[in-house]
Amino acid sequence: MVMGVLRYILIITLVVMAGFPVYWMATTALSTNAELFSTGQVRWPQLQNLPALIGELSKIPIGRWLFNSGVIAAGTTIVSLVLGSLMGYALSRFRFRGRGIAGFLLFMTQVLPEALIVVPLYAMFITMGLLNNLGGLVLANAGFSLPVSAFILKSAMDAIPYEIEESAAIDNCPRFGILTMIVLPLIMPSVAAAGVISFFAGWNEFLFATTFLLDRSLWPTSVGLASFIGQYETPLSTVMGAALIFSIPAIAFFLLVQRKIVAGLTAGAVKG
Amino acid sequence: MAGGASKLPGRFAGPIAPYAFVLPPAVYLGIFMFWPLARQLWMSLTDTRLTNPTAGNFIGLGNYERLLSDPALYASLRVTLIYTLGSVLLGVTTGVVCALAIDRPFRGRPVARAILLFGWAVPTVAASLIWLWMFNERSGVFNDIAIAIGLGRIRWLTSTDMALASIFAVTVWNVAPFVMLVVLAALQSVPEEAREAARVDGADALSVFRAVTYPHIRPAVQIAALLVAVWSIRRFELIYLLTGGGPLGSTSTLVVKLRQVAFENYELGMAGVYGAIGLVLALLVGAVHYLIEQRRSNWMAHR
Repeated sequence: MVMGVLRYILIITLVVMAGFPVYWMATTALSTNAELFSTGQVRWPQLQNLPALIGELSKIPIGRWLFNSGVIAAGTTIVSLVLGSLMGYALSRFRFRGRGIAGFLLFMTQVLPEALIVVPLYAMFITMGLLNNLGGLVLANAGFSLPVSAFILKSAMDAIPYEIEESAAIDNCPRFGILTMIVLPLIMPSVAAAGVISFFAGWNEFLFATTFLLDRSLWPTSVGLASFIGQYETPLSTVMGAALIFSIPAIAFFLLVQRKIVAGLTAGAVKG
Repeated sequence: MAGGASKLPGRFAGPIAPYAFVLPPAVYLGIFMFWPLARQLWMSLTDTRLTNPTAGNFIGLGNYERLLSDPALYASLRVTLIYTLGSVLLGVTTGVVCALAIDRPFRGRPVARAILLFGWAVPTVAASLIWLWMFNERSGVFNDIAIAIGLGRIRWLTSTDMALASIFAVTVWNVAPFVMLVVLAALQSVPEEAREAARVDGADALSVFRAVTYPHIRPAVQIAALLVAVWSIRRFELIYLLTGGGPLGSTSTLVVKLRQVAFENYELGMAGVYGAIGLVLALLVGAVHYLIEQRRSNWMAHR
């Protein structure tokens, strides 16, 4: 009985600590500047301020930023899924010279800090004309999502019996067709998980974006939001409103596919 | 698939088949991951500057000699080490506590579980903005509370005593949910009868955890700990946005320092040295990780 009560107190404490920052983001977004900086912030969300917030949000290029974030995220997802499924299939289905090294290098790319290659990539992008280019940013991002996708897809493919592919091979279907028409449709949940991870890796990415995109019109939301730090012309409530809009899709999708994501990330960590 | 190809049975079944699949991703990673990495290491041996990144003279180990006698390097290594170990310890402990707290069913469990994941799901830049506001010295909610309970105004992010601790708070908020999910999945393999039996034998909660529960979730905790360690070495955005590595370098991990040296001091050569050291650290953790996994899969295979 005492344990039960203590457990509830513990759970409530943890939930409050975990949820408070998001609650406070919403509350701040629905406050006035006067409340925030002089009279004291109201502790609950003032929904009557919603129309004013929407009016203020239209003064910052949040639509443009979200669009750019979406383009970067979609591009990252496509590159990461296409190349990741090729890599995953090879690791799952073939024994070949260099397989061990390929797996090991792929594994090791997961521990590389982005910051480690940001300078050489910057120099490389200048010469390749990829600086200030969303495509270049996608190519930089996808390198970090590819190994995760490859491992997720590989471990899903490992669970598919080889006989299914053999019967297709007898029907003269080339290996590439087997991958796209037989194997991938069978592991759609894992493809979706790899896709969601890649998408939000691209959606959230900041370091490469802030380094490689000099043109304001190309900024994704992460860079746009960060540009508000230390800048006081835009009301804080607007900044928080934008941050909230930026966060909601990420929260929704992560909650939706949480189990798959965890299985995927740990599979990537497990299988060398 | 295409008409012509389907007339060639086994076209891909020969010894080149695997490489047809491996090559595109390998070439891509070669260009956008390993080549830049090699360039980074090469740069550490030159005096390249950001103002002219393609022209630099080879100066041998000059940058290394200069950096090895620079106290900033050791400060940064120390911060990286403390940050990594601290994140693992605090993040994993909190995650395990969360998992144990919500493992058994109770009213509102799905809601609690969802809210506990917020810190993991919110994009880092958005998270940094709200924490910056909560940490705000003059009007932030944390100082409202601190003043109300008599602690006075705390300089959460701008004093060398508090900055790293504040960063830890945000880091734990961010990584603990992931640990929780990994451990929750592992907890499903703990036989409830075993726990029940231990309880009937009069074992208290802590003993049950140590003797029955922990052995089952240990592999999961290990994986989570290693992932958190890897992420801590890699983590840039959070620290960069919250403190920028300051005050006085008290939160300046290697990657934060690297970017500062490269893009504020323009010294790409020196940044390369930080990169080389970061690489060694990352590879060390990666190697430990890899070895543990190899051992575990061998053990699983021979069982």
